Amino acid sequence: MTFGFGLGLRTEHYNDFLAEPQPVDWLEVISDNYMVDGGKPLAMLDQIRANYPMAMHGVSMSIGSIKGLDNDYLTKLKILEQRIEPMWVSDHLCWTGVHGRNMHDLLPLPYTDEALQVVKRNVEHAQEVLQRPLVLENVSSYVEYESSEMTEWEFLTEVSQVTGCRLLLDLNNIYVSAFNHDFSPSSFIEGVPVDSVMQFHLAGHQDNGDILIDTHDHSVCDGVWDLYRQALMRFGYVPTMIERDDQIPALAELISELDMARAIANDVLNTKVAL
Amino acid sequence: MKLAELQTTFQHALFDAECTEAEWIKASARGLSSRDRLDVYHNAYRLRLIDVLFDTFEHTAIYLGDDWFKQLAADYVQLHPSTYTNIGLYGRELPGFLVQRLAGDKEVSELALMDWKLRRAFDGADSAVMTLDDLQQLARVESSICLQAVPTLTICTQHFNTLDIWHAINQDQTPPVVESLPEPIELLIWRKGHSPHFRSLSKIESAAIACVHSGKSLDDIGAILEKDFPDADVATEFGIMLHRWLDDEIISRP
Repeated sequence: MTFGFGLGLRTEHYNDFLAEPQPVDWLEVISDNYMVDGGKPLAMLDQIRANYPMAMHGVSMSIGSIKGLDNDYLTKLKILEQRIEPMWVSDHLCWTGVHGRNMHDLLPLPYTDEALQVVKRNVEHAQEVLQRPLVLENVSSYVEYESSEMTEWEFLTEVSQVTGCRLLLDLNNIYVSAFNHDFSPSSFIEGVPVDSVMQFHLAGHQDNGDILIDTHDHSVCDGVWDLYRQALMRFGYVPTMIERDDQIPALAELISELDMARAIANDVLNTKVAL
Repeated sequence: MKLAELQTTFQHALFDAECTEAEWIKASARGLSSRDRLDVYHNAYRLRLIDVLFDTFEHTAIYLGDDWFKQLAADYVQLHPSTYTNIGLYGRELPGFLVQRLAGDKEVSELALMDWKLRRAFDGADSAVMTLDDLQQLARVESSICLQAVPTLTICTQHFNTLDIWHAINQDQTPPVVESLPEPIELLIWRKGHSPHFRSLSKIESAAIACVHSGKSLDDIGAILEKDFPDADVATEFGIMLHRWLDDEIISRP
């Protein structure tokens, strides 16, 4: 793969991307923000897409919902996919609501065999509609369930191996969940099959002392950069992006952070080759 | 606990006004109670939806002030679980909620409805816009012409000086004292280019647009206006109206 280093496209940066070429190899768009009838969001998307490869990243598929996927949502997602022809389409290993309600959050699943069967069924449904492998991201979590029977990475691995879906490893989410649930983030990295990983997310979080909150409103912390180095050593080159959703800084600041990712990747991958 | 029960129980826990302990959440190595952990999601659900309401109902929030609007938004969120996949659509029922909650301040709900309709016009469906050339060409080949409004076009009725209040807020000025209008006005809302637009309608233009919506031909609209507005110079006024509609981009190209 040669996709390089990307950023999440945010409305605050539309003019920057329209005004002149930016040193960004690709952009990730929040699918849900563009699953609208028309207007400026889609017009901006089309104009910027003309100059940048894009990945689609959703937050509402609710792949872990026992009630199954929302066909209307999948139809709209497919229409957007056909419109922008993304490199890949991702969403999260989570559920967002049941009984016609939506909590607009990425709620963790219990890692049970029953949930595994539900996720497998739903991933296969999504892949059938999209006619391409889905890419699933690990979420940050603040609760674990008494009913869980396996680790998150064992669960993800099983889903990926059975359905052929790929994985988006959010290294900040691994860092946050590892702190919150007192497991080693390295175990997660080491537990995921090398050939299943399609993308890395790097992001910041809020440190509340006894719990970390995945706010995406800070720059990437040293601990997550360290995890990125570990991930590069294990997985080699993987398309990487900085994800910022709140307290959006000037584009130059994010590009500077992305340059840091580039430098770390060069350093680690050159070292890896030398070894 | 089976997955269906867990998801239903979790969801109820987030919708409940108070966050409580949950035995189905694993005991924490860090000493955080299940309630503390659940509270992260409980708070996030409310904050996220309240933020959306602040964003969508920007002028209403400024008019009421942050504290009052936040309290009303929190009460609304508690009573109205989101049923929307797209979080941006949350708040559809807020104007109606404000009619109930602020029965003595009905300009607030009018302001909220205006905020809502402007936001919906922003990302409403696209359509090609009819130009004067298009209309002239159509007139050469069609004996009877029916116009179609762009899909973002909508009308709301205001009984108070809500439009003046909206303008004052938009210009960072102190809103005028609320006044009941001698008679209600109709406000046309639509998207021109990428931007939502609005303007008030005269009675004759309001009647003409109602005719467009009901599929009447231009000839029929002219006849209806002649009958309903006997004192007006309908031929001149309708001609001016048509040009303005084309300039305003409120007519779709067939």
